[in-house]
Amino acid sequence: MDLLISIPFLVFLPMAVSFLIMSPLFSSNEIIIRRFTKGFCGFHFIYALFLLVFFDSANPYISRLSIFGLDWIQSLGVSFSFKIDGISMILSVLTSFIFLMAATASKINIRKNHKFYYSMLLLLMSAILGIFTANDMFLFFMFWELELIPAYFLIGGDYAGDYSPENKQSAVKYVLFTFAGSMFMLLGILLIHYFNYISSSAPSALFENIIMYSTPMKIQLLIACLLLAGFGVKLPIIPLHSWLPDAHTNAPTPVSMILAGVLLKTGAYGIFRFNYEMLKESFVIIAPILAVFALINIIYTAFVAYSQKDIKRIVAYSSISNMGLILLGLCALNTLGLKASVFHMIAHALVTAGLFMICGIVYLRYKTRNINALGGIAVQLPRLFGFSVLIILASIGVPAFAPFISEVLTIIAAMFSDMSLVIKICALGALPLLIVSSCYMLKFLHRAFMGEDLSLAKVNDISMHEFVVLGSITAGLIIFGIFPSVILNLIN
Amino acid sequence: MIYDFFNILLPQGCLALFIFIQIMLAMFASPRLYKYSRLISAIGISLSICLLSTVQVEPQYFGMRGGIMSDGYTSLFHFIILLCGFFTVLLTKNIMNKCRQNAYTFHALLLTAIFGAMNVVSANDFLTLFISLELLSFPIYFLIASDKGYLSKEASFKYLITSAVSTGIFLFGVSYLYGITSSFNLSEIYNFISESEPSLLYSFAGIMIVLGLISKLSVFPFANWVIDVYKGSETSVLAFLSTVPKIAMIGIICRLLVFPLSNSFEITFVIAILSLITALWANTYAIRENNVKCILACSSSANASYILLTASLVSVYNLSTVIFYLICYAILDILAFGFLNAAESTKIGMRVEDFNGLFRQNKGLVISYVAGIIGLAGLPLTSGFIAKIYLFSAIANSGLIFIPVLLILMLLTVVALYYYLKIILPLFKECDKTYEVKILNAAYSQKFVLYITAIATVLIGIYPEKLIELCRFIAYNI
Repeated sequence: MDLLISIPFLVFLPMAVSFLIMSPLFSSNEIIIRRFTKGFCGFHFIYALFLLVFFDSANPYISRLSIFGLDWIQSLGVSFSFKIDGISMILSVLTSFIFLMAATASKINIRKNHKFYYSMLLLLMSAILGIFTANDMFLFFMFWELELIPAYFLIGGDYAGDYSPENKQSAVKYVLFTFAGSMFMLLGILLIHYFNYISSSAPSALFENIIMYSTPMKIQLLIACLLLAGFGVKLPIIPLHSWLPDAHTNAPTPVSMILAGVLLKTGAYGIFRFNYEMLKESFVIIAPILAVFALINIIYTAFVAYSQKDIKRIVAYSSISNMGLILLGLCALNTLGLKASVFHMIAHALVTAGLFMICGIVYLRYKTRNINALGGIAVQLPRLFGFSVLIILASIGVPAFAPFISEVLTIIAAMFSDMSLVIKICALGALPLLIVSSCYMLKFLHRAFMGEDLSLAKVNDISMHEFVVLGSITAGLIIFGIFPSVILNLIN
Repeated sequence: MIYDFFNILLPQGCLALFIFIQIMLAMFASPRLYKYSRLISAIGISLSICLLSTVQVEPQYFGMRGGIMSDGYTSLFHFIILLCGFFTVLLTKNIMNKCRQNAYTFHALLLTAIFGAMNVVSANDFLTLFISLELLSFPIYFLIASDKGYLSKEASFKYLITSAVSTGIFLFGVSYLYGITSSFNLSEIYNFISESEPSLLYSFAGIMIVLGLISKLSVFPFANWVIDVYKGSETSVLAFLSTVPKIAMIGIICRLLVFPLSNSFEITFVIAILSLITALWANTYAIRENNVKCILACSSSANASYILLTASLVSVYNLSTVIFYLICYAILDILAFGFLNAAESTKIGMRVEDFNGLFRQNKGLVISYVAGIIGLAGLPLTSGFIAKIYLFSAIANSGLIFIPVLLILMLLTVVALYYYLKIILPLFKECDKTYEVKILNAAYSQKFVLYITAIATVLIGIYPEKLIELCRFIAYNI
């Protein structure tokens, strides 16, 4: 019974189910696999919610729930240890939710190779949950690398029936970028391990056992930069971002939702876990520089997004821009900034999943993603139009939606940061984001949905599955927009 | 002498007996019964593995007037060598069908090479080492040439020349060392060296000896044979060539570095530089290769250089890492070549495109193969991931000056990932309806090797603790 209410169960259940689906014993019937996966994701979401309900850092019951540890490789001091704190809990539930949405959306988008697709989807889920809950550096790194395998097959595979060699290229690009980054990260982790071993003379890789303040500052800065190279690829920080638009554009819609919704957040989570918590002394020095990078992220990609023709690329660039805002929140180095940052992770995950869903729906119906070739969708698909207006308004940052809260909180936190003047200036500079982002998002809405009806094809309005996905995302946006304290109180 | 035989030499003796049996059969048995040669070899190696338990390991045993030694280290290496030999023997079905009359000879040569490799590891004397080295090299020339066609003969000749040159260099170094210490015995040399001042001549001799030994590892000055030999040979021979001689060489080089050639900075420096050059060369060369065998050749060269680099930074921790990495690497390599062997028996070419779409029809075999390649690339859930982390941590713990070296190695693994993906990609490719996807016609023995090694890869990847403990135990007691 203890094992059933524990974190490894939460993390490894999707992996087990993934292997089950992959095995020859499981039916190869498309409908059975799809419904089974969807049902499993639903169960997993409820299970995660159940953990969330029982989650309370003051409660003694939680000490059993929130930590799990076994020895794994003793000679390296690596243990098989998981831990859930407020941020991990929120992100785990978010992951579970986004995967449920993606599994639901897969019905309309995935046409072949169901068995392989769904098993890879669940393996990816397991890897991401592992990243969010690992309590050991090497375990974290293992999940970080593990996520490459399913992500590669999901981006590069042929599932939707519109396969092109570019898919494979962008998958290879994604994997090589991330792997190169993770190698820098591994070097950083090994250095932390080495210096921690010197200072505490017991090999341990548990996050709470790492003591870095006795390490020379130069080494700390070196380690911080190495780690940032790894997380910066995932986040992405601007010079390392070029894999992202390709990967998002070429992946099937549900995979794009996952990539932008939760995969990018692993980068931010890594920066929080390693740089923000563990290497706090060096982060104080790095934070202003990072804030400048965040500002570049926000402004530059907003302009790039405005000039894009492909609607999926617009959304992809907008997510880079939003990740910059998350980074800025972390750089503020105060509790409010952290809260805002985590809140924006959730808000942005919902928004971007919704936007990719809309792009997918449009693409399925009109077979084009070129914004100039679209027009007048509002007339043909009124229900889609309704949802699109809501989600796009949310992404712009209109009050009563979740992103509004997080954007405002981020800017306030950065303004009141007592670290450096640079961060305040960056916060001031980030304000124009609201204008530019409304420009490209409104351009998307205006060009695609309004105006003259360019397509002659008669298409159906959104189906039940699409309605459920868009509806639940919109509901989430509104609920968190009105009651942000639900999440903010969980973060200490 | 006879006590020595029963104390430590029973496994080798058993192998020698079976070599004799194979030669006798080659002379007198009917060629129609060639199929049994594989069975006889397999029995011989299994018996030899069983007899390993009779070997005295604790305390260290020096037999044959100090010419051969035995301890936990040698026994572990003997076990790995025999295991790789066993898997190789299981993979020899194709080549036996090709060279029917010579099947017995082929297996006699294979067993001789294994016999040589075992003696290389347990040598405690430079003369024993030299003879065992030749015993290992000579059969390999013929094994490489056993495939039909011009390429294999060319490959064999290239290997012969490289080996001859490197043996010459090795003897040159040994002669210098004899000049300094007037002894061939490793223990005596060690005693002599540890009492005297370190001299440059001694380092020079050590460098020459190591240079002579690393040609089988395909490390830089002697790396060029690897592409041609791998292109020209049969895959079962390659499974042998990429594991057994390398394990033996790493075994003896580690022992030499720990024991008589220790405390010489120059040797470490030269080996480190050479292995770094090899890693750079092999990984960049593989990018433009299109032949799976050649890519794996480069990969084996690169992996050998990682191992050698770690071995050169002598410490107990590093030694345990080297042994662990070696075991993982040997398993992965046999897995990869086992799949190629199955492909070869289905008459599939060795270009990357020839493997298009194999996943659809051969799910189990392809998944095992992909697990192997993923392991070579060092991604998680496979032994390669643990091995790579362990190796990198060993280099990182050796000192901060090795951080740039480590960074280069890590970036090279990214390059490596690129060419490993190049191997994996076509397997999952969707093909047109007109393209007929082949069903791999793998024998039971081949399937057995593939599945066993794949399971071992995943198991070590998930729970490596016991194996690491064993490696550490062996390394501490050397």
